[in-house]
Amino acid sequence: MTVAQKEASRLAARRRPARRWGRFFNKTVPESLGPRLILIVMCALFLLPFWSMATAAFKTTQELSTFPPTFFPLGLEWSNFSTAVNYIPFGTFFINSVILTTGIALGAAISNPLIAYGFSRINWPGRDVLFGIVMATIFIPFPVLIVALFDIFAKLGWINTFLPMIVPAFFGNPFFIFLMRQFFRGLPGEISEAARIDGANEFQTFLYVILPLARPAVAVVVIFAAVAAWGEFLAPLLYLQDEAKYPLSIGLQFYRQEHAVSYNLLMAASTLIVLPVVALFIAFQRFFIEGVTVGSVKG
Amino acid sequence: MSLLSWRGWKASLVFVSVVLAACGGGNQSAAPLAGCNSGTTLATFWTSHTPPDSDSLKHIVDAFNKQSTATCVKMVQVPGSETDIAKLTTAVRSGTGPDVYMLDRFTVAERAAAGVLEDLSQYGAQDLASNYVDFAWAEATFKGKPYALPFDTDTRAMYYRKDLLQAAGITDLSALDPANGPPTIDTVRAMANKVNHKTGGAYDVVGFIPWINQGWHYTWGFVYGGSFFDKSGCKVTPNDPKIVQAYTDMFTNWSKSLGVDAVQTFISSYSPPNQPTQQDPFLTGHLGFVISGDWVLGQIATYTPNLKYGVTYIPVPKKGDQPATWAGGWSDVIPKNAKNAKGGYEFMKYIAGEPGQRVYTKETQHTPTIKSLQSDSSLFPGDHQFFIKQLSAAHSRPPLPVGAFYWDQLSTAQDAAVRNTAAPQAALDAAATATNAKLQPFCPLA
Amino acid sequence: MIAAPRLHLSKADRRNLRTAAPFILPWVIGFFAFTLYPIVYSLYLSFTSYSGFGNATPVGFANYQHLASDPLFFKSLWNTLYYTGLAVPIGLVVAIVLALAMNQKVREVAIYRAAIYLPSILPLFALTFIFIVLLNPRFGFVNYLLSLVGVPTINWLGDPKWTKFSVVLLAQLGAGGPALIFLAALRAVPGELYESASLDGAGALRRFRHITLPLITPVILYDLIYGTILGVQIFTPAFILVGGTSGGAAYTAGPDNSLLFYVFYLYKEAFQYSDMGIASAMAWILFLISVVLSVIIMRWSRFWVHYEVS
Repeated sequence: MTVAQKEASRLAARRRPARRWGRFFNKTVPESLGPRLILIVMCALFLLPFWSMATAAFKTTQELSTFPPTFFPLGLEWSNFSTAVNYIPFGTFFINSVILTTGIALGAAISNPLIAYGFSRINWPGRDVLFGIVMATIFIPFPVLIVALFDIFAKLGWINTFLPMIVPAFFGNPFFIFLMRQFFRGLPGEISEAARIDGANEFQTFLYVILPLARPAVAVVVIFAAVAAWGEFLAPLLYLQDEAKYPLSIGLQFYRQEHAVSYNLLMAASTLIVLPVVALFIAFQRFFIEGVTVGSVKG
Repeated sequence: MSLLSWRGWKASLVFVSVVLAACGGGNQSAAPLAGCNSGTTLATFWTSHTPPDSDSLKHIVDAFNKQSTATCVKMVQVPGSETDIAKLTTAVRSGTGPDVYMLDRFTVAERAAAGVLEDLSQYGAQDLASNYVDFAWAEATFKGKPYALPFDTDTRAMYYRKDLLQAAGITDLSALDPANGPPTIDTVRAMANKVNHKTGGAYDVVGFIPWINQGWHYTWGFVYGGSFFDKSGCKVTPNDPKIVQAYTDMFTNWSKSLGVDAVQTFISSYSPPNQPTQQDPFLTGHLGFVISGDWVLGQIATYTPNLKYGVTYIPVPKKGDQPATWAGGWSDVIPKNAKNAKGGYEFMKYIAGEPGQRVYTKETQHTPTIKSLQSDSSLFPGDHQFFIKQLSAAHSRPPLPVGAFYWDQLSTAQDAAVRNTAAPQAALDAAATATNAKLQPFCPLA
Repeated sequence: MIAAPRLHLSKADRRNLRTAAPFILPWVIGFFAFTLYPIVYSLYLSFTSYSGFGNATPVGFANYQHLASDPLFFKSLWNTLYYTGLAVPIGLVVAIVLALAMNQKVREVAIYRAAIYLPSILPLFALTFIFIVLLNPRFGFVNYLLSLVGVPTINWLGDPKWTKFSVVLLAQLGAGGPALIFLAALRAVPGELYESASLDGAGALRRFRHITLPLITPVILYDLIYGTILGVQIFTPAFILVGGTSGGAAYTAGPDNSLLFYVFYLYKEAFQYSDMGIASAMAWILFLISVVLSVIIMRWSRFWVHYEVS
């Protein structure tokens, strides 16, 4: 956290009046004061849960139940992290999460550009109608399908495997199709024309001409698919039976139900779960920010 | 994206962080099966029990594996509870279920009716009937056939913290001496009110909360002399006037007198879901009285061996009322689609038989269901004798094909009463209607 | 959109169709296998009694009738609609306020943007664990901070009046994504509009009401619809907060079943009570509700959405 934000959370905790803000920021343009104040307060509110998580992760069990709660842990109990990782089958859950996320991201990376290409770079009768249907499927909440899907997968013998979650990722997702389609539509038609003149068929055009240009968009799809897969809860809950196959999401929750995990360990584990996503964000911030806004501005 | 570019470094940053987070996670959740004799086939055993009871089960499993030449058992802890076997049913449905499952005995009829369990007569279980106490065996059968082997049982009583009561200035504890019969609810209420203590406007010690731990609807319903099931009419009667009275006194009014929100806040703070046993508020000094079962003796021995506590009958409405309690307990079953049912049955005979029950009783202070063990007083040191003596007069829950559903309905009504969001009469009437609708197709019962 | 009569496709059309077919085939297969078939199968199951074991026996409308007389069904419906009715408008306001603030001339906006957006991509289950600690009535930070300003203790997760609101608060951690979208929309508003308006003497509030707001209505619509679809599906936080199907002390989904959201009850019916017929009926009702809500919002939007004429 920056100095400004640290100061903000401490001050927010002590609820000082607004006059101090004026002295603190006496160099800034007055008209930014209001929005800055709102931003800092909101940032503090958004970061409060993580401050709670981080401090709890470092507290001893006794300190967890001291009243009033301490904002800074009395000592840094690093052992919470190693205990959490050893007491809970963290490694197993983590590897399962990685496998699931990789499989789903791979499926998204392969299928969505392919499908979106068909909906954008080729003009065929009924295309827009069918695309309307693709978008309409967004209105079908996943829970509507879970009973039937469970029964279908049970009959296929896919329960207790990763297949019910990974395989559908290879068949497209309306959001990602939309995203890729927006991108493809932005590419000039002349590129495809040139490729056609050179004798390439449609698939070759897709693979060797269009796709290389689409790397940033595909990266966005992969990142969003991976982030969503990392947090998947309902699907693994339905389809996985074996503790050895649980990803972090349901693994941690079931472990809590069966073995009673103390809150400091739970927060240490949560910190470890959150870190990879934070690192991913720091590394690829631009992709996240741009990906979020693609195409959604023009209603 | 070459390694030398900034993007390459960012990707490595992610990779390193991922590896760091995975560090130290060499833990295997599926430990290799040690202690298996060669030539044995695997059988899986699922239980939703938590420590310390699950630790004892593990000891039994290990002992079984040592002496068996045909079967080796792997024990798996799964989420679940007395009435929740979602994990089991989904697993059985998809062919990934266990060979043996620890099922709450009063739900055996319901699960057998749903087609989840194997009929054990095919393995000769009928021959074991005479080993078990009658009410336990009755609970384990459906339409005359055995679907489970009874495991443990238990009774409920009231525990109290001598130290907390004395600190609150209560010097005369003779009313709580079992030799003087059960205390009255009013007596307990007076003592409990002295123990209540608030800090900063919120409770940090409460004398008595009748509905937590084992202070269930069944408990107070039986204590007030109510009847939950009308056999001749084949209908459940949760709205029996005595049960309604029990709800009104011990749930609705008691909650109001403590302050509905205040007591709920206390429970949320000191007894949230999935809390470890060591932090139980009675053990940690935040509750003066609690209704619970004989297994608490085992918990005390494990976590707080120097606790100054006492045990007595569950309090009764009027002086001179007979004390009442009910016996519950678990059982072992073989679910459908078990891959190694024979091995499972061999294990069941062991764990639900004399060897397993003996170990479990000694380690956890539950009560066995095997007749010969019940008369072995060496198994019941100290306060456990009190619980054993209650057994002969203990009630048991009606084993209905809708037992689990009925329990959940009673619990919903209990919750509404405790929170004062519904009057007990109305809530229990609703429970009666819903349960009887589900019960009807099974009438008349065997 | 003109539906081309099947028999009169030109040669070029047919060729284009053949070319495009392999590209969109994955979606078509996936749609039939994982969407259409399950929906139809669900409809069929909703008219049967099916425990998941053995066969599904047809029972006509019995499942629907059972639901019509099940107080918990209506409670779960109420819980979900109540939650959605709170979370969607509040989320909308929060996102717009954040976007407005980020749109001002503040040098370090990238920092705020990162801090606000980051929580929205973190896994919801982890955020739920964090909230359990944060909202503990006695030992959590929130109540402590509130007590410093004189607010009495709130039992966030134990008081049925507050539990759903706690989930609404949790959902606000996800406001970062919509906030960024609104920010992009705000940035797309031509500056000249504001300039000419202030020249005409319009204050900030009037500029917002008459320029900004109309121009971002398409994004508001998108946020409303998407938020509603997400809202009716709410499940994970409730499951974790009550400790699964077996964690609650009173065997209810949260105090007084206040966290028994629709999908949670659906899950319980299917997998705890082994009644897949009823669960399928609930699934279909949910489907219809989603469609109806979306249509209502779309129809209503005609009155207030200004589509940009480029």
